[in-house]
Amino acid sequence: MGRYAPIRDYAVIGDGRTVALVARDGAIDWLCLPNMDSASVFAAVLDAERGGTFELHPTQRYEAQRRYRPGTNVLETTFTTASGSVRVTDAMTLPDANLVPLRELARRVEGLSGRVAMEWRATPRFEYGKRTCLERRGEIPVAAHGSDGVAFPSWGAGTPEYRDGGVGGRFEVTAGGRALLSLIAARDEPLVLPPRAHVESRLDGTAAFWERWSARLTYAGPWRDAVVRSALALKLLVFAPSGAIAAAPTTSLPEAIGGERNWDYRYCWIRDSSFTIEALLQLGCRDEATSFFWWFMHATRLTRPRLRVLYRLDGGPDVPERVLDHLSGYRGSRPVRVGNAAAGQLQLDTFGELLDAAFGYARRGYRLDRDTVRHLADLADFVADHWRDPDTGIWEVRMEPQHFTESKAMCWVALDRAARLAEASHVSERRRARWLAEAAAIRAFIDERCWSKRLGSYVRYAGADELDASLLLMPIMRYDDPTSPRLTGTIEAVRRELSRGALVYRYAGEDGLTGAEGVFVCCSFWLAEALALAGRRDDAARSMDAALALANDVGLFSEELDPTSGDFLGNFPQGLVHLSIISAAAAIAAPPS
Amino acid sequence: MSLWAALAGGFAGTLVLTTALSGATQLRLTRMDVPFLLGTAFTDNRTAAKVVGYGLHFVAGMAFALLYYAMFLVVGRAGWLLGMTFGLLHALFAGSVLVNVILPAIHPRMGTPFTAADSSPLLEPPGFMLLNYGRATPIVTIIAHLAYGAIVGALVAAT
Repeated sequence: MGRYAPIRDYAVIGDGRTVALVARDGAIDWLCLPNMDSASVFAAVLDAERGGTFELHPTQRYEAQRRYRPGTNVLETTFTTASGSVRVTDAMTLPDANLVPLRELARRVEGLSGRVAMEWRATPRFEYGKRTCLERRGEIPVAAHGSDGVAFPSWGAGTPEYRDGGVGGRFEVTAGGRALLSLIAARDEPLVLPPRAHVESRLDGTAAFWERWSARLTYAGPWRDAVVRSALALKLLVFAPSGAIAAAPTTSLPEAIGGERNWDYRYCWIRDSSFTIEALLQLGCRDEATSFFWWFMHATRLTRPRLRVLYRLDGGPDVPERVLDHLSGYRGSRPVRVGNAAAGQLQLDTFGELLDAAFGYARRGYRLDRDTVRHLADLADFVADHWRDPDTGIWEVRMEPQHFTESKAMCWVALDRAARLAEASHVSERRRARWLAEAAAIRAFIDERCWSKRLGSYVRYAGADELDASLLLMPIMRYDDPTSPRLTGTIEAVRRELSRGALVYRYAGEDGLTGAEGVFVCCSFWLAEALALAGRRDDAARSMDAALALANDVGLFSEELDPTSGDFLGNFPQGLVHLSIISAAAAIAAPPS
Repeated sequence: MSLWAALAGGFAGTLVLTTALSGATQLRLTRMDVPFLLGTAFTDNRTAAKVVGYGLHFVAGMAFALLYYAMFLVVGRAGWLLGMTFGLLHALFAGSVLVNVILPAIHPRMGTPFTAADSSPLLEPPGFMLLNYGRATPIVTIIAHLAYGAIVGALVAAT
């Protein structure tokens, strides 16, 4: 088995269209072009032998330290060797007034002290590692496949040498010296080969943009660094051309090493996006929220009033799942999947989260036009018609559908928020009255069939005697007063039964899949937020501190953690985790209500 | 062949084309909504955008009818079948260049493949042959334009 960096060792850079994973050793092991849901050019994270990578590091032994330049998505990795130190600055650049490539990744090398010998090597592999087409065009290495092309212009980084299906070079940097490498990409058009000054200028301009963007964030409470880092990570998941928000920029990073729980998260989950909108609105990011609502209105036209669980970033509803047999998977974790079969599931909770986001958007004074309100009302009618159906729940389990408590509670939230939105819009009183009547029926169902006297808690699904961390969303989404006996009992039961230190398992029962999984990181922050809402602020702050301590060195989280080793598991970085950080910090910081 | 007939054909053809596209959206075949796309170039109010967009679409429909008329004159004959041929070319041009390339380039609220993190457009780009708006969109668009061309061709030939 080849070189696999721990998932914890990755940082991300992006430009609002695609995202690259950069390892601590300077290797870019994941990059899809031109968009984050396109096929990969570098996928060494999923197959170290044939996935393709873009390495850049000293030739001798080194220590690596890294950080994001404050308030930006520009990554700085400092390599310290026995003979000197260098700083590598990595960023996906944003367009400027010059003729710009379709996509551009810039890697600036600066000598900080002494003299450091460096080497780089790129092995582009189109179609998830299937195609190698590297050729020399003048002094610039170019790889092309179909209408896709990538090139590797470099300045002061040695003469490119071609070997073993890759290209690379060696060079030396002294204190005060600089070199620059770049990757540029094109699709359906000629490659734009920029001069060095343009790449340098765009790199600086990109850092300046991110500084301006993060300076606009309105949050001033505790854990600000973590909140700002989370907002920056979420911003990378916003697919700028359409406004859709991806759940994560990767596919098939495993939930258990060697296991089958490997999913493609490069799509827009309506649920996660709704949570994200709420989190971004808390930080004053109106443009992203408005853009998402316009995308949502357009994307769901083919399926309304039924919502697909997830949509493609371009708004398409079809996300067929297939296995890439030729990839060996992260540390042998097969299968590697692209597409996601969960798209066709019925997940009733999605409606609640979406209508709550719309309600929060309108409550902050932003306009929901008549078309949008009409569409939201149709969704509420759908919930009123279908809440009695079993579904696959928030965790999209692949077992028989159940009457999941959290799904029912979110159906209540959907109808409650729809009724409240209707008060200020042109929705008939008859529809509103029906929504309220059905909401009351849902509450009766939950209180009678989803409550366990033995546990003193709501349970995972009707008739079950087990818990589920998603129940923490009941106080968070204000299904009831978070200080009510039933919700405080549920919070305490989840804490007692599912948490191990700062970590919280999402459930204890079966889910239709073999093998185990790690602990779901977002649940730790949900617990902190629920504790704060229940009035236990000191407990909440301790939980928050403990959970944040589990982040990697640049403040990012994957979907899950191995409870024994602390290793990251699952797709990375996961939006749901980072928005739960923002939400929990805001809840703890808010004055008691 | 009369200029007025071409204008009348353009109006009637656009009426049929717009109605066909609207029907297709109601049948969940496509998310293509030409008046909405055109109108949102001028306002972010969805309702007002559709009103403005319908007006613009009719103007564009009549302008294209004049181009058809010019081509009928050059060819020296007109008819519904020749009109349909022009309609097919019109649909392919609209899907591959007009709406896919030119409209995103000039539309202030539409994303393009170049749109990056420093902007938040309100409309997704249509993609080649408008495929981002649903897989059936090219078929619907072509059928609607075939009808448009047939109407313009038939009316011009009748005068």
